Order: sequence, then C-alpha cells, then structure tokens
Amino acid sequence: MTLRERLHAWRYNLVPDHIIGEILEKKWTDSAIPFVVLVATVVGFGTAIPGFFSPYSLQESTRQLGEFSLVVIGMTVVMLGGGIDLAVGAIFALSAFAAIATFFIFAMPVWVACLAAVGTGVLIGAINGFLIGYIRLRAFLTTLVTLIIGRAIFEILIVNYAGKAQMSQVYSDLWDFIGDDTILGASVPVWTALIIAVVAHIALTRSRIGWHILAVGGSRRSAHNAGIQVRKMVFLTYVFSGFTSGLAGFLFATRLSGAGIGTGHGLEILALTAAVVGGNSLGGGRGSIVKGLMGAIIVLVMTNGLIRLGYGTGTNQMVLGVLLAAAVTIDIRWLKNRHKVLNEMYVAPVYLNMVDAPSAEAGSGTKYELNSKLSQARSIGLGEVEGPEDVILDRNDNLYCGTRHGEVVRFFAPDYTDWEVFAHVGGFPLGLAFDKDENLISCVGAMGLYSITPDRKVTRLTAETRRSLTSIVDDAVLRDPNDLDIAPDGKIYFTDSTKRYDAHDWTLDSIENRGTGRLLVYNPEDGSTKTLLDGYHYTNGVTIAHDKKSLLFCETWTCRIHRYWLEGPKKGKAEILIDDLPGYPDNINRASDGTYWMAWLGMRTPSFDLSLRHPDFRKRMTRRLPQDEWLFANVNNGGVVKFDDRGKILMTLGDLEGKSHPSVTSMREHKGQLFIGGILNNRIGVFDIEGADKTWTAPVDYWGEK
Amino acid sequence: MFLDPILDIFRGKTITIPPLDGAYRANTALDDAPLFSDLAQADNLAILDGSLIASSDNTLCRFDAKGHAKTLAEYAAPITAIAVSASGELAVALDDGTLMIGGELCEKPDELACITALAYGSDGALWLANGSTKHPPSDWVVDLMEKNASGSVWRRKAGEFVKVAGGLAWPYGLLPDDKGNVVVSESWQHRLVRLDGGSGKITPVITHIPGYPARLSPRAGGGALMSVFAPRNRLIELVLLEKHYRADMMAEVPRRFWIAPALATGASFMEPLQIGGMKIMGVHKPWSPSRSYGMVVRLDSALQPLDSYHSRANGKRHGTCAAIEHDGRIFAASKGGNAILTLDVA
Repeated sequence: MTLRERLHAWRYNLVPDHIIGEILEKKWTDSAIPFVVLVATVVGFGTAIPGFFSPYSLQESTRQLGEFSLVVIGMTVVMLGGGIDLAVGAIFALSAFAAIATFFIFAMPVWVACLAAVGTGVLIGAINGFLIGYIRLRAFLTTLVTLIIGRAIFEILIVNYAGKAQMSQVYSDLWDFIGDDTILGASVPVWTALIIAVVAHIALTRSRIGWHILAVGGSRRSAHNAGIQVRKMVFLTYVFSGFTSGLAGFLFATRLSGAGIGTGHGLEILALTAAVVGGNSLGGGRGSIVKGLMGAIIVLVMTNGLIRLGYGTGTNQMVLGVLLAAAVTIDIRWLKNRHKVLNEMYVAPVYLNMVDAPSAEAGSGTKYELNSKLSQARSIGLGEVEGPEDVILDRNDNLYCGTRHGEVVRFFAPDYTDWEVFAHVGGFPLGLAFDKDENLISCVGAMGLYSITPDRKVTRLTAETRRSLTSIVDDAVLRDPNDLDIAPDGKIYFTDSTKRYDAHDWTLDSIENRGTGRLLVYNPEDGSTKTLLDGYHYTNGVTIAHDKKSLLFCETWTCRIHRYWLEGPKKGKAEILIDDLPGYPDNINRASDGTYWMAWLGMRTPSFDLSLRHPDFRKRMTRRLPQDEWLFANVNNGGVVKFDDRGKILMTLGDLEGKSHPSVTSMREHKGQLFIGGILNNRIGVFDIEGADKTWTAPVDYWGEK
Repeated sequence: MFLDPILDIFRGKTITIPPLDGAYRANTALDDAPLFSDLAQADNLAILDGSLIASSDNTLCRFDAKGHAKTLAEYAAPITAIAVSASGELAVALDDGTLMIGGELCEKPDELACITALAYGSDGALWLANGSTKHPPSDWVVDLMEKNASGSVWRRKAGEFVKVAGGLAWPYGLLPDDKGNVVVSESWQHRLVRLDGGSGKITPVITHIPGYPARLSPRAGGGALMSVFAPRNRLIELVLLEKHYRADMMAEVPRRFWIAPALATGASFMEPLQIGGMKIMGVHKPWSPSRSYGMVVRLDSALQPLDSYHSRANGKRHGTCAAIEHDGRIFAASKGGNAILTLDVA
C-alpha cells in the first residue's frame, strides 16, 4: 500500500463526511441562519449600547416585545397557511382604541375592554378571512384594503375621541397591573406572548388543524385533493391573526393608557420583516412559531438599538428594507437549492481494500467457476411478476414471491401458470419465511417486518429498534429490512441492510460502501426488537444453520458469509465463514443435503474493486456524473452457489449469457427443484437439481410434518 | 449562476458529452442491416480490381458479390491499414511496423511504426497516418488512457517520406482531396481536421463528434463516410481526468477490464458496468451508457454530417472501424461484431 493510499484510507474512513449530509437533512438547519443573525444582533447592540441589558431597559423592551411577538405570531400563522396579512397594524390600532374607549369613555370593567379589543381584532380578521378564504380574493390586495380602511376609521375616531378618553377619571388597579407590573419578574405581555406561542406551536406541530394549515400553505391543490377544507383553514388563519393583533392592541392600551395617530403605524412591515427574517417562507408551508419569535427579537432589537444609537427613522426603515430583501433572497435560493446541495453532499464514500478472490470466469478452473446451467431453467410468470427478490413454497407446493409493486403474489401448484395477488403489503416485499403457524413473515423494504396470516391478514410486527447513541438521522427506523429466518423458539432473526439509504437506493449504498448494516432479532413473545450486530457492509441473506446452534448471514458489499452463534461458548459472537467470494452474496437458504445455497446478486469487477480503494474518485464520480453513468459492480451476471457448514464450495450454477437470470437474489429448494428469484428480473426460474432429495421441503425441515 | 465557477472547485464540474442528436440521431440501422460476411475482426475495407477486399487479423480477403471470402494474402502480423492506388497498387501496413507497397517491403523512417490508415491522393502520393510514437496500433487503448498526442501524418511521393504534421492525438483516418491537402480523423480529440499539404497547418472540420472517429472514405457523389468505432462515455471521460485511479487501473487491472472504450463489450462479467447498463426486467436499455458502439456517419460534400447508421448499447455490431461505398451500397466493417454489413445508400 502506498503512502498516498494509506493517507486516503485514513482521510475517508476517519473523517465522518457523511454527517454533513445527515445534518443537512434535518429540518432545523432551516433555522440556523436566523439563529446566527439573532445572536449577532443581540450581542452587537448589547455591546454597542451601554445599559442595553439593564433591568429597566430590558423590562420596557420586553413589554414591547411581548406585544410585537403576538402580532408576529399571527402573521406567522397566516404565512404558514400561504397568505399574508398587511392589516395587522390597523387591527392593532383599532383594538387599542376599542379597549381605551370601552374602559375610559364607557367606564366598563377591564375584562369587557379586553373583550372589546379582541372582538374588534377577530371581527376584522374574520372579514379578511372571509374575503380571502371564501370569496378567494388576493390576500395582498385584500389586506392592503383593510389596512387602509381600518387606519382611516382609526384616525377619524382618534381625532374625535382621544381628548374624551384622556379626560376620563376612570381608574382600575387591574388595568395598571396589566400595564405596569410583573409576575415572577416578567411582564404580562411577555407571559401572554409566551402562552400564545406555546399554544400555537403545539397546535401547529401536533394537532390536526395545525397540520391542515401547513398542508394548505405547502400546496393548496394537494391539500384540497387530500380532502382538507382549504377555504376554512385560510379563513381561520386570518381570524387567528386578528385575535393576536387584537390582544396586542389591548396590552398596548393598558401600557400607555392612550392611543395616538401613530399607534400601530408601520407595524405590518415590522411584523412581516420579523416573520421572514426568522426564516418563515413567503411561499407558505415552511416555518414555525419559534422562527417568528426569533425574527421578532431580531427586528425589535435592531430598530430600538438603532434609535438609541441616534439614527433616524429613515435609516431605520432602510435597514429593515435591506434585512427583508436579504431574508427573502436567502429563503428563495435555499428553498430552490437545498435538495441539490443535499444530493451532492449526501454520498460520502469510504475506503475499502477487498480480499482478492479466485476468478469465477468460465475456464478458470477455480472452485467458483461459473457455467451456464441456469439458462436451462424454466420460467414461471415471465413478464407477469416484476422483481421477485425472494421466493418461497408452502406445504401445498404453492409458490410465493414479493413484487416491486408491494404485493405478495401466489402461484398455484402444480404447474404455476395461474397466480393471484395473495396480499398487498406496500413497500417492496423482500425476504420471506413461514413460521410454525404458517404465517408468511416478510421483510418489507422501506417499511419493516410484516406478517401475513394464511387468511391474508397483514400485520406489522416491527419497524424500529433502539436508537444508537451517536446517530444523527434517527436510526431506530428500519430503512432496508432485507431477509429473515425463524429460529425453533419462534424468534425472528432479520437484517436491515443500511441506515444511510432507503431500500430502492441500494446501489448508492454500494458506491458509498459505509458499513451500517445490522442483524436484528424480533421476539414475538413480547414484541421487542433488539439489534444484535451493527456496522456491516450491507447485511443481507439470513438462514438458521441445520443444527440450529448458529445462523449464517452474508455481508454483500464485502462478499463475505458470517456465522452468528445462537448458543454454545461463542454465543452472541460473529465469525467469518467465507471471505473470498468473487460474487456479491444475497439470500442464503438451506439445501436438502444438509448444506446451503447462496445467491449471487452480481459479480465483482476489477475496476469496481479498485474504485473502492479510491474513495476520492468515487466521491468525484457522484458529484460530476449523473447516477446512470456511475461505475457499479456487474449485476448483469450472477449465480447460485452451494456450500457446506465449513464454508467449502460444492457447486456453482450461472447464466453467463445473462438472458434469463442475469442477477440472482434468491433460491429455494423444494422437492428436488430449485426456484430462482431476482430483484431485477421479470420471472421466477425452476431448475431441476441433479440427485437432490425429491421429498425434501423447507416447511417440513423447519417445523416438522403436520 | 455567477457563483458556479467558485462552487465548482468544491463540488466538481459536471462532465458532459455531445448528444447523439441531429445528424447523429440514434437508430438501429447497423443491427438491422443484412450481413454480407461474418468475417472475424473485420477491419480495413478497400476495392481492388472491382471487388471488395477486407482485412481480418493477419489475413487479407477478397469477396465476390455474394460475400464469399477468398484469402488473398497472409501476413506475419495483424494488418492495420490498407490502400489501393488508382493504378491498382496495394499498400499494406502491419502491426509490427512493416509497410509493404505492391508486395515489396518498403524502407521508411523509424518514427513510422504505428500506421493506422493509408490513402492514395489523386496525384498518386501515398498518405500515411502514424497513430503514435509510443505504441503499436494494437495498443491503441493504452495510448488513449495515457492521453498521448504523438501521432503524425506523412506523405510518400516518389519514394520519399515527408512528415506533414505531428502532435496529433491518434490520427486514424485519411481523406486526401484534389488540392494536395488531407482530412484526418483525430480520434482522441473527437474531431476531423484538414491538414494543409504544404504548410501542415491544421484547421478543424468537424468537432465534438460523439465518439471516437476511425477511417474515412470518399462517397461516389462527393462527401465521405466516417466510421466511429466507440462512443464517448462520461465515466471514461472522468477516468481520463482521474490521474491516480487511471494509473492504478493501468497497472493492476487486465486491459480488457479497463474503464476504457472497447470494440465490443459484454463478453465477460469482469468488465466494468455502469448503473444505467443494468439489465432490468430482462431489458438492456439501448440508450444506456456503453463502452462500445457502432456508428457510420455520412458526410456531405462540405464534410458536415448528414445522417448516420447506428448499433446501440444493446446491439452487437460495435467497433465499426471502416466503411466504404461500392456499387451503390455502403459496406461497413464491424470489428467488434465480427461482421461486414451492407447498407443501401439512401
């Protein structure tokens, strides 16, 4: 090994490049930029302005922040629903006036004033919602109109009644308490905003109505097609926005005990900027309350800070405008390019030096030498089944297989020309096994471990295991359950091939070659799932050994067969049984004579083996070429190999022309015949095995006569 | 976007190749074409005394109208180029560097040891394409993967050899014109160039050919036939840019299993496969990336492509190294497909 190769091995196996892709997959990365801006703003102004963090200054600021946050929460919800609410400033002002008029002029109790303010907000919100949701007017223009009309009404009222309110002698402790005092160190507006924020957050992320709003914002058409009441949801977002703005108006009224021409002026721009700067998408559907709050803090700290640094209104507006423009640009560019960045970053190849294998080429004279015997196999279901990864036969000789359409298909004995859909599971049913009670257990790619009863009832057994401590992407989920076998005590041993890719992206996992495959066990008695082994390069076929003391499983990308001990002194340990295969092993199953069959999914090629020692080459390949052009192992040829308990190779069967069985992923021996499946094939093959026991069947071998 | 050149440093620039479209639009004409002869390793084609002759490894064959072959001559090494002069003089070049003209061994400069094409001009001068100074013609794939450009074009007039131009990336086809110039297919550069017979000045004629051009031959009514023996492939283009992988591959991997253009593919499962080339549901996609291909292109009198005959990724008649028009038909030699085919002139 050259120094360069050794350095590359270290570089690519020790530096966890894959983490970048996994972090980028996280939704919270959307909040990263606003969070950085938030910290920068607070720290920046905090150090530039002496006394910025003094208790009094903070108290006043947070009071204002509470009110403003309420408005922003409303705006955020409207934006998440795919709309925009420019009327918040007008609502805020009118509600403040309503509270003041009710309390000072009509001398009503405080709670009535509060009700009046909130009622005003809800009413205007409902008008907006009705026009936009039900009449389906444009949100921008409609709320602009309500803004103008609302402000006009407010200005008429304030000119006529401001003096009257000011001369009022009405006094209330409660009113002053709300306006001036604190509870547990925080003012009433802060508490109100916090409570509303928590409620709104929970509603958006955990309730039906919140999900519906997000769905409408994400895609109106899809939401409608999914049966969501789009108009009602849009209506409700504006009502909510009116409600929070009304509440904010009431709090404002208690704080200042008055209102003037300038009340709520330009608030809509501030709120909009806050919501967008926080990272809420203008397009709707993407964002959160927390982002809105972050934006509120950024905007408020910035505007107040600029004023205290002595800058005028013009500068202030300018900064806000630039901030908004920057946020909108980042929002759009990020939305558009995030998946591209992710695609380019995700595949992170590692270094692997494969063990040299004897050639399997015809005429090579090795134990693995392939022939063309499989080309003589008769076809079942030619052109009717697609992707029978695994095949299995029951006690009545009927033949079952999964298909890429998510179905388990049954071919009827004895001639296997008639077939039916036995059960629809979804996903991609891969490995199959019958348990003691003749339930068909299947590893379903991208879904989990499923059981199908003889009367076709489909139940999920498990879809998760314990999450590992260092995982970034939740690896409790089974992304690629592949094959299984059942021990005499009923425990189901199965493999989950990779944590990095979903079942249909198995080719990508091979390019990356990171060992993340697992061996797991499901215990039907208590329904628990346990991870037994982790870190293998694509765990695949599993079979319980004939003596039932161990199981055999294969590691596809490293072309190895392992033995895992179920009992005895090495219980719980795995050891390598065969490690020089020239083909990629897939499923393993028992043979009638006390030995085993393994399927070869494809063949190793010198060019691909070499590329495994050049992770940098593979990395550039994934970035510079489209997926169809990537180098891959040769899966246009495969085969079936028989081996015994000591790992000795006894027989090989191949289809060198690759006409009928190019890639083989499974085989089952049944009454002297071998049934052959292939995940990429459009048929099942039947092959007569010379000299095989014509009475042997797997169900009897596993569970005895019935 | 303006950021792309900067981002390319980190993410790598996408590798693109010219599409098989326009005059190069793919069809199955070569696979559908009737078989004229199943000559193994069918390579050079020429007309001698009104009948077709073709080279097959060490053997030169003459064909009757029905495609029956008769051995004309047998040589000590594989034939790499043939040409017949207006007077019926036969020039043959061999892989071991030998050049024979009219049956006589011809003395020549030492540099001329990799003759890939021969052609007689209308003035009776013999043009010679020397693929490389480093390898014989049979090692063409090594020359390509080493990214050499040491080829040259020579002219022999009155027994004297003159080097017209050097520094060419595997000249592989010659088409002399009436004015003493010659059009050369520069294979590793995917282009045809015109060499000025006097000054040796190079002007491009066709660039961005979606494959590796081989022999050229004139058409009856003006224009020419260009054979393309292998396709451009994005993975191969990437490997050509990957210094370390390529060096290790050339050192450790047997040559027939290289990620490199080939005259034929699919003989062994040890050959490299690209994801698009996977057989799925029994289908090998004809548009999938392939290391071998068959294409004969008709060029008009301005030597611009008119239309083309193809054998696609799932076809068999790959490695088309030569094509010639004769008796109103086009004969195409598929070296990878071991066949000579006839195509009707459209």
